[in-house]
Amino acid sequence: MFDFAIAGIHAPLFLLMLTGFTVGIVGGFIGVGGGYMVTPALIVFGFPGYMASGIDMTHIAGKAVIATVRHRQLGNIDWTLGLAMVGGTMLGVEMGVRLLSYTKALGLSGVVLLMASVAIMIGLFLYTQIETHRAQKKINQLSSEGKTVGRELSTSSLPKLFQSIKLYPIVRCRTARLVISMWVIVLVGISTGVLAGFFGVGGGFIRVPALVYIVGATTHIAVGTDLLEIVVSGGYGALRQSMMGNVDMIAVLFMIVGAMFGAQFGSIATSYVRGPAIRYILSYSLILATVGAFLRLVYILSGAKFEVLNFAAVVFTLGEMIFLCFFIVSLVVFAVRFRQGKWVPPWIPSLVVSA
Amino acid sequence: MKALIESMLGYWILLLAISLGLASLIYVFWLREALLS
Repeated sequence: MFDFAIAGIHAPLFLLMLTGFTVGIVGGFIGVGGGYMVTPALIVFGFPGYMASGIDMTHIAGKAVIATVRHRQLGNIDWTLGLAMVGGTMLGVEMGVRLLSYTKALGLSGVVLLMASVAIMIGLFLYTQIETHRAQKKINQLSSEGKTVGRELSTSSLPKLFQSIKLYPIVRCRTARLVISMWVIVLVGISTGVLAGFFGVGGGFIRVPALVYIVGATTHIAVGTDLLEIVVSGGYGALRQSMMGNVDMIAVLFMIVGAMFGAQFGSIATSYVRGPAIRYILSYSLILATVGAFLRLVYILSGAKFEVLNFAAVVFTLGEMIFLCFFIVSLVVFAVRFRQGKWVPPWIPSLVVSA
Repeated sequence: MKALIESMLGYWILLLAISLGLASLIYVFWLREALLS
């Protein structure tokens, strides 16, 4: 236990560093900040809600910088795409926050909003799962025909539709190798920003699928470019939270130490896998976060009477982080074994790159 | 065990069970007293 003087609590230091490490791996791998995992975990560790949110935002900004630097080295960032999207995202977040105030003024309860967010998460999960499963089958089919399969394969036809919109200015994203109307990128930024602002989340898990399924970027580019967005939006959020006195910098420091290693590992791990593997982990993250949020909601709605519900919510929040971390590490281990010609499960070759 | 690992769904379930088990241990040994106090 460590005495965090600013937050005024005693919290387990080891768990704080472990949280930073595990969320660092997940964030570096699927390109999300991980606020939906970290904030509830910090509350469980004893931090007050407002401080959990501030510490989370500040740690996300620091972690995103580390992951972005690594993804830049791996060639996973399209600066044109990222910078074109940032303005739209910021505008969208502001619109989302105002929309939230408006719906609250109309008398829509928090439960209705939460149900809407659950519906969106489940919708995204199902679409990602179905599309990724199709892509995996296609890779298996092409491999069995003796054809070479690259690092990315997506079966969605939506990107072609959006790329065919000839609304000037048209931008050429050289790293992402796509030509698309600037308005599509800005509108994707605005709409994902609205959802992020409306539901009070960072929005990485909405932006990464949007970049893949609407803009048509590869999953690796979507991850790297989204992390660049998080550096900007997370940095602004961290500044605002610090000015409001919601940040215990000692706690942030310990989390960053863990995240420093985790984010490096997660980012490097992307170079061992194909796009569908990242999309699978993203979809698992979506559904597990939804179940975790649902359990917390049931506990709160039941008047915090049933200890077993609290136990289930806490265990699920921590278990979700451990699960995603294990899955990513095991994918890398299997990828290395596959390169060495050793035994791997039959579903692995279609998800990892051979060299 | 090998049959579980050979199927992606089986591997998913196995990892989730291990992760939730580890999370339960963390809860019992590190967090329970802090949460109840």
